[in-house]
Amino acid sequence: MTDTFLRGAAAVVGASEFHYKRGESPASELRMTLRAIVEAAADAGVSPREIDGFVSYGGGDNDGTVVGASLMSPRIRWSTMIWGGGGGGAAAAITNAAVAIAAGQARCVVVYRAMAQKDSGRLGYAKHHFDGHMLPHGVGSPAQACALRTRRMLEHDGVPESAMKSLVLADYFHAQRNPHAAAFGRPLDEADYAASRMIVEPYRLYDCSRENDGAVALILVAAGRAEKLSSSPAYVLAGSQGAVGGYAVDSENDLDYTSAGFSGAAGVAETLWADADLGPDQVDVVQVYENFSGSGVAALIDHGLCPRGADAGKVMTLENLTAPHGLLPVNTSGGNLADSFVNGMGLAVEAVRQVRGTSTNQVPDAQVSLFIGGPMAALSSSVLLCTRDVL
Amino acid sequence: MTPRAGTAREFPATALAGPYADGLDLPYWEGLRAGELRLQRCGECDLWIWGPRWMCGRCQTFDPKWTAVEPVGRIFSWSRTWHPFIPELAGELPFVTVLVELPHAGGRRVLGLLAENGDGDVAIGDAVAGIIQQPADAPWPVLRWRLASSTTETERGTER
Repeated sequence: MTDTFLRGAAAVVGASEFHYKRGESPASELRMTLRAIVEAAADAGVSPREIDGFVSYGGGDNDGTVVGASLMSPRIRWSTMIWGGGGGGAAAAITNAAVAIAAGQARCVVVYRAMAQKDSGRLGYAKHHFDGHMLPHGVGSPAQACALRTRRMLEHDGVPESAMKSLVLADYFHAQRNPHAAAFGRPLDEADYAASRMIVEPYRLYDCSRENDGAVALILVAAGRAEKLSSSPAYVLAGSQGAVGGYAVDSENDLDYTSAGFSGAAGVAETLWADADLGPDQVDVVQVYENFSGSGVAALIDHGLCPRGADAGKVMTLENLTAPHGLLPVNTSGGNLADSFVNGMGLAVEAVRQVRGTSTNQVPDAQVSLFIGGPMAALSSSVLLCTRDVL
Repeated sequence: MTPRAGTAREFPATALAGPYADGLDLPYWEGLRAGELRLQRCGECDLWIWGPRWMCGRCQTFDPKWTAVEPVGRIFSWSRTWHPFIPELAGELPFVTVLVELPHAGGRRVLGLLAENGDGDVAIGDAVAGIIQQPADAPWPVLRWRLASSTTETERGTER
């Protein structure tokens, strides 16, 4: 086992997430952020004024001093943003909070993200990618950029399209048991999926994430404090982040083009497993950021949860991907596709629920819960949460 | 390798065609105006570099030299867009974007629109050749790509 001071040093003890249809939030990003933090603090059993650390990612204008001012925080000790657009830093934000606590830089850290299209527009987290070396070539959205990579994953690597379909159907399956999911009561079957309109090949409508207005907050404290606050803290077992070799937002010249950014030279997944001292077969449940089905599949492959090439289709079946009894239950609240998309942070809350045993699609006796942040982004990250027994 | 004789498909300009405000990639665009594809190559260690960089990261030599490249290659990946993501191209759907691997530039890859019908067959490994188009009323020309196999029965590339 790699000696890491992070292992089990901090835990998530409170969480909140809520969402609206995109463009329909009644409040600004700052107001929603504050609501999420107050709710998460109540869930944790701490006063919002105890929060001395603030971490976010993927943009947003409300840094720790802005949020802390509204909370009348007596002391702000940590205010950091994970660089890199899109949702690649979502898991790294949780790791960053744990790092601050483990290093004694802060005692109570909130990880937060809010999106309101009135404030930041459509795709407000991804606009800067598309410049004079992409837009003239017809590439002006994350869907198009990721589609190029997914096309090669299918056509060159031999991953079957059924892998993408199974991920989509699993998300919608889980959403039917999550009353808060946007797609609750709106099941999706294979025929609906196949009949949906093409957006950018190989992505159909249902392969693409929805977008929501909303906010998410997670509260982390040190392990000792967590035990007093909660009967089921979600300990940060290990976290890893990085960028694949050759990556650049202004080109398509990564060394490992069909990677979602976690494998190859980046070694994000390899580092995660080494630090956690366990392997992909020991994970009980996975929340994988699927901005698009194909990049979600690539992220699972990168983490060794699913084989490369044609064999990916054998693991990526609806039966395998669904709770409670699938071999690889993924996106058990419905994921970005069928639950909600607030820059992917809702997935982190579901990863916490699985450790607490409170998911509406609970995996029995879930001990190790993986959250994989935004794939095919400039920077990618993942984080493992676990029960105390795993430490 | 020559593009087929048929008329190349033309596309409207998009607002962001042209150099960055800091001038880093200005020689790329000036190259297109002069009828050439120019990419960077380190004057010290000969490394081909793309996207544009202020320095060669391998040997730390600044200002890699802008070097003309024969615009031929093979499709490394592609996508076909059906949704109007870019307003200027909304009337052009569907269109195919190709990512072209350039054997004469150390295998560096560049993006471009395929100047063919958007609903035709495309595959990874297909040979393509670049053409420079000047969209009407646009300040800068743009590099497009044509399937080299359209007039002859060229075999699909083996270097997939």
